[in-house]
Order: sequence, then C-alpha cells, then structure tokens
Amino acid sequence: MKPPGKPAVWSIAAFLLLATSSTVLAQESAAVDRTLTGDAACTRCHDESETKPILAMYKTRHGVKADERTPGCQSCHGASEGHIRNTGGTGAKRTLPDVTFGVRGKSDAKLQAGTCLGCHEGSNRALWLGSQHESRDIACAGCHTVHAAADPVLTKLSQPDVCFGCHKTQRAQTHLVSTHPLAAAKMACADCHNPHGSTSDHLMAKASVNDTCFTCHAEKRGPFLWEHAPVADDCTNCHTPHGSTVAPLLKARVPWLCQECHSGDHANAVNSAANLQDGAVTTAGGLNPLANSAARAQLAARACLNCHVLIHGSNHPAGAKFQR
Amino acid sequence: MKCRFVTGRLQSNPLRPIVLAVGVVLAVNAALAAEPAVSDEVRALTVPGNTLELGLGGVSDSSFKFGEYNGLEDEGAFLVGSLAVHGGGRYNTDDATRWKLAASNLGLSTRNVAAEYGKQGVFRVTFGYDEIRRNRSDSYSTPYAGAGGDILTLPSSWLVPVVPRVSATAANARGLSAAETTSSALVTGVLTAPTPAQLTTANGILAADLPLFAHHDLTTTRTRYEAGVSYIAPRQWEIAVNTNRSDKTGAKPMGSVSRVTGADISTILADPIDQTTDQFTVTLAKRTRANFLQLSYYGSKFTNHIDSLTWTNWANPATSMTMTSAPSNQAHTLSLNAGHDFSRSTRLVLTGAYGRNTQNAVFLTDASTPLVPTTSLNGLVVTQTYNLKLTSRPTNKLALGLTYKFDERDNRTAVHTFSYYDANEPAATTAINSAFSAALGVSPTLLGSNANVNSSRPYSRRMNQVTADATLRLTSGHSLKGAYEWQSLDRWCDGSWITCADAANTRENTLSLEWRANLLATLDTRLSVSHSERDVGSYNEDAFLALVPMANVSPSTATGGLSAYAYMLANGLNGYGPTTGLVATTGNQNLFFPLNNALANAAYANQNRISELTGLRRYNMADRSRDKAKIVVEWQPTEVLALHANADYRKDDFTESRYGLIDSRSWTTNLEGSLAATDDLALTLFYTYENQRARSAGNTYTANSATQNVNGFTAIAGGCFPTISLRNASNKIDPCLDWSTRMLDRTHTYGFSSDRKNLLDGKLAVGLELLLSRAASDNEVIGGNYVNNPLAVTGAPAGTIAAYYLAAAPLPTVKTQRWDAMLNARYALSSASTLRFDYRYAWLRASDYAYEGMQFGGLTGVLPTSETAPHYSLHVASLAYQYRF
Repeated sequence: MKPPGKPAVWSIAAFLLLATSSTVLAQESAAVDRTLTGDAACTRCHDESETKPILAMYKTRHGVKADERTPGCQSCHGASEGHIRNTGGTGAKRTLPDVTFGVRGKSDAKLQAGTCLGCHEGSNRALWLGSQHESRDIACAGCHTVHAAADPVLTKLSQPDVCFGCHKTQRAQTHLVSTHPLAAAKMACADCHNPHGSTSDHLMAKASVNDTCFTCHAEKRGPFLWEHAPVADDCTNCHTPHGSTVAPLLKARVPWLCQECHSGDHANAVNSAANLQDGAVTTAGGLNPLANSAARAQLAARACLNCHVLIHGSNHPAGAKFQR
Repeated sequence: MKCRFVTGRLQSNPLRPIVLAVGVVLAVNAALAAEPAVSDEVRALTVPGNTLELGLGGVSDSSFKFGEYNGLEDEGAFLVGSLAVHGGGRYNTDDATRWKLAASNLGLSTRNVAAEYGKQGVFRVTFGYDEIRRNRSDSYSTPYAGAGGDILTLPSSWLVPVVPRVSATAANARGLSAAETTSSALVTGVLTAPTPAQLTTANGILAADLPLFAHHDLTTTRTRYEAGVSYIAPRQWEIAVNTNRSDKTGAKPMGSVSRVTGADISTILADPIDQTTDQFTVTLAKRTRANFLQLSYYGSKFTNHIDSLTWTNWANPATSMTMTSAPSNQAHTLSLNAGHDFSRSTRLVLTGAYGRNTQNAVFLTDASTPLVPTTSLNGLVVTQTYNLKLTSRPTNKLALGLTYKFDERDNRTAVHTFSYYDANEPAATTAINSAFSAALGVSPTLLGSNANVNSSRPYSRRMNQVTADATLRLTSGHSLKGAYEWQSLDRWCDGSWITCADAANTRENTLSLEWRANLLATLDTRLSVSHSERDVGSYNEDAFLALVPMANVSPSTATGGLSAYAYMLANGLNGYGPTTGLVATTGNQNLFFPLNNALANAAYANQNRISELTGLRRYNMADRSRDKAKIVVEWQPTEVLALHANADYRKDDFTESRYGLIDSRSWTTNLEGSLAATDDLALTLFYTYENQRARSAGNTYTANSATQNVNGFTAIAGGCFPTISLRNASNKIDPCLDWSTRMLDRTHTYGFSSDRKNLLDGKLAVGLELLLSRAASDNEVIGGNYVNNPLAVTGAPAGTIAAYYLAAAPLPTVKTQRWDAMLNARYALSSASTLRFDYRYAWLRASDYAYEGMQFGGLTGVLPTSETAPHYSLHVASLAYQYRF
C-alpha cells in the first residue's frame, strides 16, 4: 500500500543536471608569498620567544612548504600591513592583523570561515553554509587550533572536551551509568556527527540516525523477517545516545518504555512496587507470607526483554514476537 | 583537562611492546643523527616531536564497571606505554614526504596503533589497528555448560527446581533457594510448613543444582583493522579509498524464553558473539573555485559466524530451544554531492544517495515452525536520500536558506505468511480452524489450534521536508532568525493485505525563532523558541491486522462468510471491541467478540491479544504539540573570567493519546565558570541539572466474565465494584483498572578542574579534576488491580473477603552516584624527559530493584544469575617516564 508519487525522480534529474554542469575550473586566488620568506614578515616577531607557540604550525600540514597548496601566514591572516607597520601603536593598541581567528574579539566568524573554506570547501564541509554552527557564528577557530602541533579536536581523546565546551548537557550525560565509550577515547563526537553541516537532523554523519548507528551496529540493520516498526523508523525512538540512567542507553525504563506503545495482552498490566518481591499484590490482607511473593517478571532482570529479547528484529520463522 | 591513563596491562608477554618501542626509538634516533644540525629550540618548535612513554601503574580493586571500556577492570599492575614518532621532510625542505607511527595503550585490551605515510599534496597511505574490550558482567553465573559457545546444555545431574510445599511438579526457580523451600507458605488458605518429605526433596534439588552454578565473566572484544589511501590527481581530482574490518567476539547476557506447561519461563543466557563487519569507501572528488563534485561508494558487509543459539529447557531438560542470531547482511550506497556558487553570496548544494540493503540468511526451522513458505527472506531495502539546499546572502544583513529533503526507506521484501508455535511449544492435538488451513493451502491436520499465523510486515517510510529560514542582522551583534519547516511522513508495507501503519501519514509544521544579541561587549545572549504541531490525519487502530492475515478469512464457525475484519467493519469496531460490560452474545458476535470482549485470538489465529486499547497512540507517530525554549547567557567580564549559564525546556503533549505516552517535559540547566587566575593557573567549575518527566497511561482490562465468586465468596474490599460478579461483568468499563505512571529522572553533575603550570621553576605541572554525578529515577504509579484473597478457600469462614483491590505503589527510587577524583603531575627531568604521575580515585554506587529478581529465591520463572548492580571504590595510580627525541 505504497503511496503514489516519487519526488525523488525530479530531484535526481535536477541534481545530475546541475552537478554535471559544475565543472568550471577555478583560477588560483591572487598569490601571496606562501614561502618562508613571506612568513618571515610575521616570524621575525612571532618567533620562538612567543608565549603562544605559533611556530608549531610548521609541525602541521599547514607548515609543509613543499606542498604547493600550503598557505603562508598572510594567506589566512591577510597582508596585515597595518599590523606589520605597527600603525596603531604598541601593546593592546597595536593594529590587529586583517583577519584574526578565535571566538571573542576576533574577526567576523563568516570572514574567518570564508578564509578557511577558501581551501577546505567541499567534502564533508559542503553543507557548512546555513548549518547550525555556521548560522550561530561559530568560527572554525572556535573548535580548531591550527597553530598547535596537534589540533585537539582531531583526536578522539580530546575531541569531546572541545565539543563539550558548548554542549554541556551532553557532557553531563556521558557521566551517567550507561554511555558510549567516549571517556575511553574509543569513539568521538565526529564518529556520529558532522559538525560542518549535514542533511540529517542533529548533524548526523550519515544520511539518517539509523545509517549512522549501523556503521558500528550493523547486526541491527537487517532487514529482518519480522521488523519492529520503531526500530526501522528511528533508533532514537527508544535510545538516547549520549548517556542514560537506564542501560542500554534507553530513554525510559522497561516495562514502561514498552507500555508507551503496547497495551494488549500482558502488556496492559499495571506495574508498581506492589508487584515487586514481597509487594502488596502478594500479601493481600497482610497474610500471605514469604515464598509466594515473587516479583512480576516484567519488573525484574531485563523485564520485557527477559523473553522478547530480539527486540531489534528477528529472522526466525517463529520470531514474530521477537522471542526466537 | 583530563587525566587519562595511557596504559598497557601486563599480559602474557609484557616485554613485547617495550622491545618494539625501544626498537623504533633506536631506528628514529639513527635517522635523526643523519640530519643537519639545527637549533634545538627551533627544532622543538617546528619539527614534530617523537615521544616514548613507559611506566608502571596499579589498580587497587577489580571492577568490570569501572573498566567497562578502558581496560582497567582487573586489580593489579599494568604497563604504561605509548609511542609517537614522526619522520620525513621538514617544513623548510623541498620534501613533502611525511610519516608517523603512533601507538597507545600498548599491551592492553584497548591498544591502538596508527601509521601514516605520504607525500603531502600527492598521496597518503594510512593503517590502523584498534581494540576495545567491553565488560558486560562480572557477576553472572549459570548452570549451563558451554558458555561462550552456541550450544548450552545442562549437566545430567540437573534436577528441575520446584518448591515442594507449593507444588511437587511445577517448575519454580525459587526452589533454588533454601530460604524459600524451607519456609512456610499458604496452602489452600492455611499457613503450612514443608513436610519432612518435601524438605528432603527440596534439599536434594539444592544439593544437585546449586554446585552447577558457575561464575562467568561476560565480555566482548572488538578489534578493528583499517587502511586507507588517498591520491590527489591532476586537475584537482581527489581519490580516496578506505577500508576497515571489525571483528567482535565474546559473550553477553541475553534473555530467552522457553515454554513449560501453561507458562513461559526465562533464562538469562550467555549469548555468544562472533561477528565481522567489513566497510569499504571510495570517494572521488573535485573542487574548483565555484563548484565541487563528489562521488562516493560505501559498502558494508556484516557477517555473523554464529547462526543460532541452542539451550536446554531448565524446566524440562529433555527439550531444547533454539533462537536465531542476527542475520548476515550487506548494504551498498552510492552518493553524489555537488555544489555550485552562483555568486559570492549564493550557493546551491545538492546531495543524493541511493542504497541497497540485502539479507538472505537461511531460515532456521524446527517442529515449532510447521509452515515456512520460503527458505530465506531475500530481503531488500532500497534507501534514497536527496537534498537540495540553497543559501544566499543578498545583503550583509540578510541570510536566506531553503532546503528540501527527500528520505525514503523502501522495504521491497516480499510479504510471506508463516505459522509457528510460541517458544517451541508442541502442537495442540486439536486442529486449527479448517477455514484457515484451507486458506493457507495446508492439510487440515498440519496446524494445531495453538498455532500462530502471521504475515511479515516490511516497513517502509518516506519523508518529504521543506525548511525555509531567514536571518536578519539587526545591528552589529544583534540578529534575529526565523525558520519554518514542513514535514510529511508516509509509512506503508508493500504487499500487506491491509495497511500496516498506525499513521499512514503524519504532517508536522514547525516555527522557530532565535534572537541573538551581544548586549554588552562582554555579554552574549541567545534566546530561541519553537513550536511544532504534528498532525495525524487518521490514526489507524486496525493496523495490527497486517500481522494476522486470518483476520481476513472467514472461520468455518462463522456465519454469512464474515471474517473478523469484515465483522469489525460492518459493526464499526476496532480490535478492542465494544466498550461495554458483559452482555450475553450469540452468533458471529460471540465468535469474534465474546461477551463484548476484545477480538478473540482464535478469530485471527494468534495466541496473544495484539489489539490495543482504544485511544492508544504510539508516540512516534501520534498527534503531538511540541514547544521548546532555550536561553544562553555568556559573560566574560574580564580577560580571565568567563561565565556561562543556559537553560533548555522542552514540552511534548500527545494531544490525542488517551493511553500510551501522554506527555513529557524536560528541562536542563548548565552553569559554568572559568578563571585564568594567572598565566599558569586555570580553574573551571561547572554544574548541570537535568529534569525529565513523562506520563503514560494504560488499562489492565482482561475480559468481561460471568464468574460470580471465588470459591463461593463474593465480596470485594476496595475497587469500583462491591462484588465479584459486578466486577467481572464490568471488567471492560471498570475505571479502577485505569492506571498511569509519572516517571521522573533527575541528574546532577558537578565538576571542577584545575591546571597549574610552571611550578618548581617551570619543571612541574599539576592537573586536578573532580567529578560528581548523581542520578535518581522515580516512578509514581496511580491505579491498582484486583487480587484474589488467598484465604478465600473452601471452608473459610463466612464473610471472608473474596478479593482485594490493591492500590499501586510508587517504585523504589533507582539511584546512581559516582565520584571521580583525578590528579596528574608532570615533572620535567630535562628538556627531553618528563616524569608523569597519574592518580585516580573512582567510586560508584547504584541501587536498582531490577537486580532483586536475579538473585536466588527471586523470581519463579526466571533462572537466577546473581547479577548485581554495579558498584566500585578503587584507586588507580601510575608513574611513567616520558622521553622526547
């Protein structure tokens, strides 16, 4: 019972037409002196005595002068003649470079981004313009530290700290009892998110939440003979990825999570402390002693998942109830 | 700052990583010796440094939870080891060749090695190896032999546990607890102690079974190998190929169900894991000044080396059960991204992806699957995602965006109809309704009356979404952004006899507004609000019928050729049936909705009532009104002090839902302050509070019935009806059976960190981090249920209460509290060597009533595993020597 209509056909046609027409070669931007000689305009002052070790740039990809694409200082900071000539005075009054990078008191975020994108546009930064971060004036330097020998946001160990600088709620969630292995540096935010812009909600790295999850959890991809509708729909119907008080990363405790959708047969039962071991249900009148007072199975151990274990889908002919 | 232990636990050959590392160091030193001399200071600043770190550490206590992902689960010593070496041309040479080798956590279950070689601007080759062990449970015990394998058996000495003074024959896992089997119990209303013979039987079971329970550590290990190569071809084409293989092995605890006479029992099994996932990506990209084009292929092949898991039924060791494992599958996606800049301020980006996901693992069959129409699924899901994004800045003050998104998961797998018995139950001796056999084209005697007849439901989903936004820069530092989003979601199952979707179409409109202002040079604020309305044109309460095709077949016992579905249509009913109490029914009404109860299971050949309550709406496709608000304030009063505060609020109201999730609320606040007290001292303090609450509702309706008493007694204490007969006659309309829950999660997280540099003449740097996380989950339940009085037995005094209405009670608070204190210190012995000391104290306590049922004497139908809530209190310390060269 498939609804008619395929807007995708028009999308593909338009897509291919425009994509294949986009083949104009660019011309190199007006050249600045990218060599060490050009850099010397800066490094004669910003030398090894600099408190901020900008020379570490030469340890990075941005410092490999044998690569013709490598920028010089002025490729990013502009000619900065006023700064070089010291027209503004000394100390704090000194004229700043044409483009300064950072979060506060620096050049406009869009100017900063434009400078970086001059080389780094395309690929996974193709959707930067209009993205959540771009529209909130998050500059590249808000996350990246390009003069450092190793940019903290590019290593799994330190990347979460960079992201948590703004995403503080997610930082707290990663300290809950059920989490992904971020603290062990076995995954990083960018394993799931593309901070430079994405076509999916929440800046997911893949086209959808599910596709992103399947990169590590391919066993849950199926397709299964018996599909569980909310699983095929969106993993986050039941899971909250950054951390949860309920393992494994569930949005609510079972059985109530299940009962938010299921009310038939034994899924309709009221589950409360009365159904726990020695609870009131089994001590009617206060006369029913121990040993007849077991908890309801839906309130203990894995609750509904004690039996309906293959909840992501089953491929067994007898698995329609996710038991086989 | 984080205090991390870059470590390696001493394993069978602890010297191997040391030998390897030292070898690398010598080789690199030899290479460096050949380089021209440069200033050490300049060289240190401009040439990537090499480091080797070796040391020893120790963990005071074992804890799987503490070491869940970090490899520090065992008490004892561990090796600290890491390495990073670089080579190739320097920045000031004509040589763009560079290479590096890095390794961390050497010798540990979380070890990682990465290598890279390339000529920048031309090509790059990368290799990687990564390992992670996940600790699942260190308190699991089981009597099954073969844990870790795919066949789990009970030793021949296993005796089926029973509680003899309750029943000499009924399997009862509480019979594994002496406290249970020796205590008195009500037997026909009389508190009765076990007889000597019963005690002898019980003790025999305990003596036979308890020694069979053995402890098993359940862990999984994932090893990942990866390689990649990228090449920059002439004319700005870039080609990149990346591949990785991930092997996952081990075992994790998993529930399972087995059938015994009249009931289901559960067993928490050690589920074996042996899986391989291969991923492959090829990307071809070209970028020019005004355009970019990227074509890529992504392939993922998942291979499960274990087809199934078989286990002995602990309540009937003569029988065994089999469950399938996740099926092997593949996914292949082609994608194309392109962008064109119409001008410096207007850009169009198009992305598209076409994917095919297939699965064709052979079905497992046994006596419980009498009707399997095909040997494998031949499953195919086609995914298509296309996006068009147009952004423009017509003026410096105005930015506009328009996005269209199409996202489809089209499950093209054929629908098949299967018949099976629940949980390996034997077929009933009576046959299923003859009309059903005829419709299925099978012998009238093939299927027992306890057979389920189910059709698969290949779910498909299509989203169309349009988003338009505009950002207006009012003044410098002030901006206003408005956005509108329209989303339409279609859901369906191709080939299903009736629509499978509760909501075949939902439409959602969202309006959002954001105001950003730099009120002062040092004060940034942001306020955003949004409101969305999701509308379900017509929620379909008959969607469950897609699973049960016999609902469209007229049973031989029906008159007029009516099927269950036809009868429902003719009478304007859904699967819940008439909302009325007991009224005697006859004919087709009695067949399909006896006594006005819900659609009878036998009427659609299913062993469970799968119709839902009238008014239940599944929350992911229910009518919803959503409001969000967020405020952020950032104040940097001085160069050295930064303060941050924000609050988030979200409210979801499921406006048409009487049952299921009714509403949810959440709010979060964050407070943080950072102080760079001096150039050498930085302090950070933060606090986060999260409050999430949700309300859901249900009804414990079972069935109208004509039963009038409990062993001759009729009075009910409490509830909405005074007698058994009135209650039973009104079961479907009894307001006392309505229940609701209010779930509340509160978490507090406190953090403090301090970094102090340049102590002891610049030789010492010290970092301190403290973290406290407290979480509490409450669940208030409103409602209740009836329970028969166990004293209402034949011969009890006149006037004995037949049943009580027992009010629901709030669940115990589930709590988790965690402390972490981390200290690290680095002392420079020389310009090339540093001594590093790390210390961590970690403490966790958790209380969770779910674990009570896993203990001996807990549940009647679940074999105990002795698993306990996680807790630890331990110290970790390490001392390492770091050499730079």
